[in-house]
Amino acid sequence: MSDNAIQISDLTVRYGRMIAVDHAALDVARGAVYALVGRNGAGKSSLVRCLLGQQKPQSGSAALFGEDVWSRRTSLMQRVGVVAEDADAPPEMSVAGIARFCSRLYDKWDQNSVETRLRTFGVPLTSRFGSLSKGQKKQVSLAMALAISPELRVLDDPTLGLDVVARKSLFEEVIGDLADRGTTVFITTHDLAGVETFADRVAMMENGRIVLDEEVDALKSRFRRIRFAAQPVAIDTAALRPTVVRSWGGGAEAIVSNYDDVSFERMRSASNIGAAEVEAMSLEEIFIAIAGGSRGDAETRRNS
Amino acid sequence: MRNALVIAAREFEEKRFVAYAAVAFAILPFIFAAIPGMKANPADTIAMGSLVFGTAFALGIGVIFGASFIGRDLSDGRMSFYFSRPVSALSIWFGKLTAAILMIAGTFGFIIVPARLAAGDHWTRLVSASTTYSVLYILVIAIAFFLIAHVISTFGRSRSPLLIFDFAAAVICGIAIRLLILPLVAGQAFILLKGLGIALGIAAIIAIVGGGAWQLERGRTDRRRNHLALSQFLWSTMAVALLLAAAYVAWVVSVKPSDLTGQIRASRSTSGSFAVVSGTTKGRSDYRGAFLINTDDGSTWRVDQWSEWAARYTRDGRSAVVPHRAGNAVEMLIYTRGKAEPIDSGLTIANGEYIVSDDGSRIATISQPNLLSIYDVAAKRSLASARLPDSRFVRAFFVTPDVVRAYLNVPGGMKIVEIDARSPALRETGFIASPKFLVFYLDPAAAHMLVRPSREDTLTLNDARTGAMIKTLTAGTQLKTATYLRDGRIAVLDGPDSATVLHILAADGTPQRAIALGAKGAIRIIGDDGTRVVLNDVDVASGRRVYEAVNIASGVIEHREPIHEWVSTSVFDTRPPIEPLREVLYIGDGGHVVAWNVATGGKRSITGG
Repeated sequence: MSDNAIQISDLTVRYGRMIAVDHAALDVARGAVYALVGRNGAGKSSLVRCLLGQQKPQSGSAALFGEDVWSRRTSLMQRVGVVAEDADAPPEMSVAGIARFCSRLYDKWDQNSVETRLRTFGVPLTSRFGSLSKGQKKQVSLAMALAISPELRVLDDPTLGLDVVARKSLFEEVIGDLADRGTTVFITTHDLAGVETFADRVAMMENGRIVLDEEVDALKSRFRRIRFAAQPVAIDTAALRPTVVRSWGGGAEAIVSNYDDVSFERMRSASNIGAAEVEAMSLEEIFIAIAGGSRGDAETRRNS
Repeated sequence: MRNALVIAAREFEEKRFVAYAAVAFAILPFIFAAIPGMKANPADTIAMGSLVFGTAFALGIGVIFGASFIGRDLSDGRMSFYFSRPVSALSIWFGKLTAAILMIAGTFGFIIVPARLAAGDHWTRLVSASTTYSVLYILVIAIAFFLIAHVISTFGRSRSPLLIFDFAAAVICGIAIRLLILPLVAGQAFILLKGLGIALGIAAIIAIVGGGAWQLERGRTDRRRNHLALSQFLWSTMAVALLLAAAYVAWVVSVKPSDLTGQIRASRSTSGSFAVVSGTTKGRSDYRGAFLINTDDGSTWRVDQWSEWAARYTRDGRSAVVPHRAGNAVEMLIYTRGKAEPIDSGLTIANGEYIVSDDGSRIATISQPNLLSIYDVAAKRSLASARLPDSRFVRAFFVTPDVVRAYLNVPGGMKIVEIDARSPALRETGFIASPKFLVFYLDPAAAHMLVRPSREDTLTLNDARTGAMIKTLTAGTQLKTATYLRDGRIAVLDGPDSATVLHILAADGTPQRAIALGAKGAIRIIGDDGTRVVLNDVDVASGRRVYEAVNIASGVIEHREPIHEWVSTSVFDTRPPIEPLREVLYIGDGGHVVAWNVATGGKRSITGG
């Protein structure tokens, strides 16, 4: 029995000449909450489709619970609850009809939990799926995904199109609850602030490649924003490596990706700078810094 | 299986509005029938109304369902709804397919059945003598529409460049099917054609139904991969089916003359040794193999089945002109003794009659409406054309390679016209007045002819060009038939069946000899070899049809051969041949063609045993 709920190895997806996923590899341990972030078109949805056995990659493999998902999809989906990026249920079906349909396909089905959850979020069972708001559609999808008590939840950008309140509600009420239960969660999202509180590990996709895959705590501990009161003559980069350096007010701002207190003190004395303020960064800020950095790298590569 | 039913149930639930619409359409004919002032019988209105509505509804629903039941889910990105659940691609496909087909059939039934019950006999009388079949055909067509719409929808919605390949594959399939059909049509194998159609139809159904399952298994939520998978399965299956069909058709048409065993038909040239023989063979259903055979050396050529009556032979016995259907045109191929391959005359005809000059150098066509054209084979060009006067029946002959003479049955008699390729104007050369259809036989030089009004006993000698009567040869003697012999003498058969007499007359009509043949039924003259006249009749004593060789000089029947069926010559060849008749053909009791030697009475098999 595999320790990983998800194992993706060397996965590549192409659409014609365009590479959507470029030799991606990641492992998600059982019970972990794993967030895959990236901008639109980064390749997240293609990777999720491969992960769910809906699309065959050009090369590489995706496995759930140690089994190849392309060939074993039907049985594996008994253990996976999915919330798709787009509301994919037939618009003519009623919410009750969708629940009835799904209940016949799964070995385990908790109709009570479906009805309770939908009642909580004010989704009428008799409504046509197509007539629901985006938020309600997501709630219906979530309710269906939760009703089977799956070992793995795959949530493909579940907050896409939701307003701030709905987003907060979804993360707090649902995803937090899942994480507490100890089930594995794989979530793709733009909403870094939302996942920051509960994700164990985060990966970042950029141009089809996974450019970062790290424990959230470790990531946050090594990224810092340092603000210098005065413009430093030169920053000693021997100890701390700044990702971004720019003017800020009368001084300067540097973002470092390998922060620790000792190194910072060494840098400050070596660079002979005055007052400096060190700030922790949010995941979103780190994402922007890395995305900016990798874009710069890409441009540097192109120019060279 | 269980999941397929779950999917099917979901489809029913989603599309239940279609059933409501069908019920509305089922009621409509009854409403029309109840409208005051309708002239038609109410039962007729119900029957016809329901059939029209039911057919339109079934076909329309078939196309709509086919275009949407998979393709729309793929293009709208909703296939992930199924594929993110523990349900196999096979269950998705067969669940949706089953629901769609049942809904097409069910809604059609909703509309048809109440009307069928209400209209009673009116339904049977108006709709069809075989209601079950007509209804089944509509359903089959609706389901075919449904499957085809699914393929087009999957291909079209993918917006993939693969569409170009699909188009090319469809064209190739069409061409291949046409190439398979043509030899079977030429062999009049209509049962086989129907079987081939059903087999290819089943193959297409397997290709589309199997391809649908394959496309979802391989393509899942990706519409382009769905297209690719369906395309691969569909065209591979069709290619295999067409290859198998081609192999079967190749085997069917590879029949040899010796394989012909049943329903043998044959025709022969009056002069020389050419004959066309056709028939069915074991294991090839109703396919009729047809061959042009040179009975002298046994050489054979495969020809279209209809050549049996469409082939023409030159009087010199050297060549046969055989039409060959090539697409929509009919090519005229010329087979010559001693040459392995036919030559293409370059002449094509769409319809109509044609005749060949004595040496085969010219062909004259009489196309609708009555346009006579003379064509030169060597130069491959038309020499002259003229429109013939309106007539009920035309018989034409090459008097010389340049001159064609036509005999036209017109009201009140027979008009004689000529066209000369050297001065191509139509000239009327004569007329024979007669209220009856005239049967005539030309002498070898086409200078004189024997004329007999249909079903009359009178036989006259006439000028063949002007039609002027020279003398009356027989009258009131129970004339049976007459013809010219090769040397220009005249042979006449008359008398009662119990005492038939063969008269030999000189070319001017002077009686030379009367040979009493005794009791003969259904007698006809086949030809002569200069010494003997060959007759075909029913031997009264045995009741069997026989060939008999009668020595003109001695009056003795030298040889007699029982036959099953005689082998005729072309109805247009009324002139005696140039070469002496050495052998005549007949179909024996075993169904094979036999050549019977007129001089010796010996026989040899031409086909089969």
